[in-house]
Amino acid sequence: MIDKNDIVVECKNISHWFDCRDDNKKIGNLWQGNDFRKKVLYDVNIKVLRGEIVALVGPSGCGKSTLLKAILGTHPPLQGDVIINGSISYKPSRHCGIVYQTYSLFPFLTAIENVAIGPLLDKTNTVSRTFHPFKTQEMKKTFHKRAAQLLDDLGLGNALNSYPHEMSGGMRQRTAIAQALIMEPEILLLDEPFGALDETTREECQRLLLTLYMQNEKRRNEGKTPYTILIVTHELSEAILVSDRVIALSQHWNWNNNSQDCPGATVVYDSPAPVYPPDVEKEILEFTSQKNEIKKAAFDPKYCQSRDIYNKYWKLLLNS
Amino acid sequence: MIIRKPFQEKWKPILIGLISIFLMIGLYFFMSFRQHEINPKDTTIPTITQLMKGFSKITAVSHRGQTWIGQDSKATLYRLFLGIGMSVILSLLIGLSMGCFAFLEAFLLPINALLAKLPPTAMLAVFFVLTGTDTTMFIAMIVFGLTPTISQNIYLAVKQIPMETIYKSYTLGGNSFEIVYKIIFKMVLPAIIDSIRLSIGPAMVYLIAAEMVVGDVGFGYRIRIQSRLLNMSVVYTYLAFLAFFGFFMDFLLKYIKSRLCSWQRT
Repeated sequence: MIDKNDIVVECKNISHWFDCRDDNKKIGNLWQGNDFRKKVLYDVNIKVLRGEIVALVGPSGCGKSTLLKAILGTHPPLQGDVIINGSISYKPSRHCGIVYQTYSLFPFLTAIENVAIGPLLDKTNTVSRTFHPFKTQEMKKTFHKRAAQLLDDLGLGNALNSYPHEMSGGMRQRTAIAQALIMEPEILLLDEPFGALDETTREECQRLLLTLYMQNEKRRNEGKTPYTILIVTHELSEAILVSDRVIALSQHWNWNNNSQDCPGATVVYDSPAPVYPPDVEKEILEFTSQKNEIKKAAFDPKYCQSRDIYNKYWKLLLNS
Repeated sequence: MIIRKPFQEKWKPILIGLISIFLMIGLYFFMSFRQHEINPKDTTIPTITQLMKGFSKITAVSHRGQTWIGQDSKATLYRLFLGIGMSVILSLLIGLSMGCFAFLEAFLLPINALLAKLPPTAMLAVFFVLTGTDTTMFIAMIVFGLTPTISQNIYLAVKQIPMETIYKSYTLGGNSFEIVYKIIFKMVLPAIIDSIRLSIGPAMVYLIAAEMVVGDVGFGYRIRIQSRLLNMSVVYTYLAFLAFFGFFMDFLLKYIKSRLCSWQRT
C-alpha cells in the first residue's frame, strides 16, 4: 500500500491550452468555434513518489515543458490541480527546484556563491540581514561550507571561485544542479538539462543523476529526504538510463472516438525503467525493447490506441 | 581587415588614440597659424600664446579672492552632480519598477515614453516659471532630461533578463523584493553604469544651455559673456575644461564598473 505522505507531486486531471487567436479566422466580432484554442494537455494524471527519478518523454510539442511549468508553478494549468506535498501549487516556491538547459546561473556570483545564495535567501530576510549582520555573516559561512562540500561532491572542488562564464557547459550544469540540491527541495525538476552538452559531458552528468539515485537509500537510512527528480528529455535512451520510471505524453491516442478535435496530449506510457549503478554495464537489449515500446506508444502517429494500454506502472507497483 | 578583430598588443590602441588627439590639436594650431597669417590680430582661433593669456585670465584671483574658473566650476559641477545623482536615483526606482511589475509598467511606460521625447531645452520657460532661476531650475532641467532615458535603459535591461533566472530565484526561496535588489539590480548594474556614462554628455548640454540663458555664474554663463566679447581664448579654455571634466567622469564611471562588475565577460 502506498502511503499518502509518499506522494510528492500529484497532477490531478490537468488540461491546458493556449489562446492563439488568429485574425483571419475572425467572422465579425465572433470567433469561429473554438479555433483560437491550441489544446496542449488533456486529463493528465501523474503521481510521483518520494525518491523516484521520473523521466518525462514525448514527441515535440506534446506539452512536456508545459507540464513541467505547471508543476513548477510558473504557468498553472487552466484545468486541474498540481499538488505538491499535499498543497496545491500555483506559484514557484522553494519546494520545487529547477534546472534549465540554459543553466540560468547568476552571472555576478562565483560557483560557491551561486550555490550558497539559495539558503541565504531562504533562511534569512532583508530585516535580519540588515539588523543582525554578524549573525548573518556566521550563517553565510555555514552556507558557504555546505556549498563547497556539495560542489566538491559533484567534482567542482577546483572551480569554487570561478564565475559562470569561466566554466564549461558541464561545470555550469553541475553547479546549477548543486544550486538546486542545496535547497533540498521536495522535487527537483530538470528541463532538458543536458541538451546543450557534448556527448562525454552529457554522459558524465547522467552518471551524476544515477549517483544521486544511489544515494537515496543512504539518505533514507540517515533520516534525510531522498532526492525526487522529474527530468524532461527528448532522448529516449537518456530517459531509460537515468530514471527508474518513464512517463510518455502523446497526442497520438484514440481521442477521435469521442471528439472532433484532438483534446491534447495525455499520458500514454507509464512504466518502470531498469536502474543501473553508474559504473555497471548496461543491458542494451532491455533498453532497446523498452525504447521500441515507448516509440510505439507515444511517437507513432498511426498507433492510436487506448491510453491505458501502456500505463502499467501502478498495476506493477501494487502487485509487487 | 577582419571585423572586430582585437589588437594583439595592448599598447597599439593607446598609441592610435594618442595620435588621433595629437592630430586634432595639430589641426587646430595649423588653422590658427593660417588664420594669423591672414590677420595677425585675429581672436577667433587663438594661438597658444593667446590661449595662455586666456588661461591666466580665468585663473586670476579677484579682489574677493576668487577665480573665474573656481567659481564657475564649483557652480556647474555642483549642479551637474546633483542633477545626475537625482536622475539616477529616480531612474532606478522607475526603471526597476517598470521592468519588474506589470502594473507599474502599464502605468509608467506611456508617461515615460512621452516625456522622453520632450527636449528639456524647449521646456526652459516652463522650468523658469515653475522653479525660478536658482539651482533648483538647473537640477530640474537635468533630471527632466535624463530620467526618462536612463529609466528606459534600465527597463530594457531588466526585460532582457531571462524569465528562467527569475523563476529560479523564487525556487531558491527569494521573495519579489529580494529578487529585485539582490538579483535583478546586480544583473543590470553594468547597463545602469553604461547608461549614466552616456548621459553625461546630454546632462552637460542641458545645463550649459540653461546657464547660458538664465545663469549668473557657471560655465554656460561665462562662455556666453566671453563669446559676445569675442574672447575666444577664454571660451576655448573653458571648453577644454568641460571636455576634461566629461572625460574624467567617464573614466571614473568606467573604473567603478570595472570594480563592481568584474564578473562581466569582456
